[in-house]
Amino acid sequence: MLGTFCVLSAGVQRAWSSSSCLFMDPSSPGLVLQSQSTDVFQNLALEDWIDAHVDLQQRSILLLWRNRPTVVIGRHQNPWAECNLPAMRSAQVPVARRRSGGGTVYHDLGNLNLTFFASKKAYDRRRNLKVVTDALRRVRPQLDIQATDRLDILLNGRYKISGTASRLSRKSSYHHCTLLHSADRSAIAVLLRPSCPGIRSNATPSIPSPVTNLTDHAPSLQWEELLEAVVQQYSSEFGLTSSSQCVDPADEALFPGVGSMEAELRGWQWTFGKTPKFSVETQLELRDERPAARCSAQLQLEVKNGRVESCRVEVPATWLPERLSASLAQALLGERFCPHRAAAALSALLRCESGPLHSRLRNLCDVLVAAMG
Amino acid sequence: MLSHSRCLTRNFGRSLSAIRQVGTKLTNFGCCLALLASGCGETAASVRSALSVLALALAAPALGDEVITVKTPAFAESVTEGDVRWEKAVGDSVSEDEVVCEIETDKTSVQVPSPAAGVIEELLVPDGGKVEGGTPLFKLKKGAGAAKAPESPKAATAPLPPSAAPTPPPPPSTVGPIPTTMPPVPPVPAHVKMNRMRLRIAQRLKEAQNTCAMLTTFNEVDMSNISEMRKAYKDAFLKKHNIKLGFMSAFVKAAAYALVDQPAVNAVINDTTKEIVYRDYVDISVAVATPKGLVVPVIRNVEEMNFTDIEKAINLLGEKARKNELAVEDMDGGTFTISNGGVFGSLFGTPIINPPQSAILGMHGIFDRPVAVGGKVEIRPMMYVALTYDHRLIDGREAVTFLRKIKSVVEDPRVLLLDM
Repeated sequence: MLGTFCVLSAGVQRAWSSSSCLFMDPSSPGLVLQSQSTDVFQNLALEDWIDAHVDLQQRSILLLWRNRPTVVIGRHQNPWAECNLPAMRSAQVPVARRRSGGGTVYHDLGNLNLTFFASKKAYDRRRNLKVVTDALRRVRPQLDIQATDRLDILLNGRYKISGTASRLSRKSSYHHCTLLHSADRSAIAVLLRPSCPGIRSNATPSIPSPVTNLTDHAPSLQWEELLEAVVQQYSSEFGLTSSSQCVDPADEALFPGVGSMEAELRGWQWTFGKTPKFSVETQLELRDERPAARCSAQLQLEVKNGRVESCRVEVPATWLPERLSASLAQALLGERFCPHRAAAALSALLRCESGPLHSRLRNLCDVLVAAMG
Repeated sequence: MLSHSRCLTRNFGRSLSAIRQVGTKLTNFGCCLALLASGCGETAASVRSALSVLALALAAPALGDEVITVKTPAFAESVTEGDVRWEKAVGDSVSEDEVVCEIETDKTSVQVPSPAAGVIEELLVPDGGKVEGGTPLFKLKKGAGAAKAPESPKAATAPLPPSAAPTPPPPPSTVGPIPTTMPPVPPVPAHVKMNRMRLRIAQRLKEAQNTCAMLTTFNEVDMSNISEMRKAYKDAFLKKHNIKLGFMSAFVKAAAYALVDQPAVNAVINDTTKEIVYRDYVDISVAVATPKGLVVPVIRNVEEMNFTDIEKAINLLGEKARKNELAVEDMDGGTFTISNGGVFGSLFGTPIINPPQSAILGMHGIFDRPVAVGGKVEIRPMMYVALTYDHRLIDGREAVTFLRKIKSVVEDPRVLLLDM
């Protein structure tokens, strides 16, 4: 299924020897590209590359792409607040931070992504969305499709089938949106919830909306048919003549430097380190087995650039000596806000303790690590 | 006369524009000077040159100190307000067009570049604060910018293997040949503050040294038999179990066997209660190198495992470590540690005990050496092994016997079958 994403309406797929051939065809005011990759980082890197390297003053570009299951958060969002990272880890769904603003979305092979590249002057999101709504109305006139003031596209006035985000650089711009063709909605419900309790942050929040797939209302709509309709509508709206072209975002010859862009997007520093400062305040429930006993503790953490900047663990002194809870808090400072890093840092502490305190300390470590998602 | 005055007007205009380019402060001054000059009847050329010289003289100090206030750009599509997210901080040097902050408006992220090269003097809006088009954003001190502060903390914590470990890594040998291919180490500046990880490692290592009466006994292992066994079975092993057959399983099993035989090595002193705690299970901590640094996960109940089980366990833990998925329980406990300095090419060395344990086995590199076998000189692949132990608990005889047992098992695994 991955390779067959490239649907060409007519004509031959030209072999591009360099990006200059691809992007500098003077006869055409625009270009439609389809990505061969379903890797979110490669596709985001391709977006970055086009934004940085292509002269968009005279032309516009439409890029069509889709990804294997991924959660994509907006530029200024908090991944721990937006998605359930432990659940995603076990389902092997990665999280990616895109460079445009806006909220969190779930991508999978049933979700079509469209990126409209234009110069800053030609930046017009409504015009772009009109391409999508007109295309949909043409292939399925019976569907009630409307773009809203918030630049969502709604079906039957209620269900969101598309969300928008964009990025304005010095001279260029891009506006991208999703389009739910046949995505896995149950995954959305499970994965798009916070990783851990008690997060307080001023990061951009997501606004949840009820969603639906186009295929839930027009089951006969094929993926290829949808793509065709969008490409044709874009071509007629922007006056293009050439057909769409397939590109491989990992092709370093075609897109020199795209590999390092991809590596940056994939890295921890970008994905987690760029999170605006936030704090976590939550109660920890502690227990002991022999003898059976319980206790509550307070955890207060400040996380900056994805690392623990300050940490306070308030445990009643009757449960654990203060020096232990203090050294526990101390052990986490400077570490990444990550349950595995915390586990590694705390295990060193645990090794130094033995006897009755050990099991209580161990329990506190476990509970603390669990509170970090 | 007419042509002369026209000339003057033209030159006056040109001079005026030259002054305007330099700085608005000078405009009035320049105007006065030009008027004076024309009034005095001086030639156009000398007026112009005098003005430009004056302009330059007055401009130079102003350019160097000029602090400009950069305002929020107008938003596209009649959007009114957005949130500021700072990319740079006060004191950072920026070049012209470098992004200083991003403003998020209505699902759009807008980059705000610096209009000129300089140093950020003040941020006028807090991170996450709201701005509208025209709101003053930050103050920039124009100029070439201060020299970049030396990147000392980053260079210092650049990964020298291993750096990110919460447990003390056994120091590689100080005696013997250094491997020829060392990873390039970046230059480190003179005074660098210790980071928390290093402080913790330092503290624990000293604690180990101060509590245990540590000393080391050595031996050497002839790896011929085990190499042969590995060569004979490695393909079939890979096929059946889907993992590679290494040497670690032999040493781990040998250690477990020897620990069951010498319970004192598997025990630990409880300093607070002044007791010796004997453990009837053998949990071996194995040092695993990951891209992030050294991690020491634990293989539980090794006394019940065979070579295959051990290889599988090591493999699983290695994968978890590489994927950063080790949990607290994976690294807690452990009655004995094995560390392999051989992967770095060490010949010989004294590992340091990993508290709260009583001993540690250090494996080193396998090198071909001439040895005496049956009265003749033969070349054999030899490995030096070292056992550092706590003499408060383990006596010399026990330590040596323990190490010899490991040697005999690795040199001839049949010892395990026959319980020799």
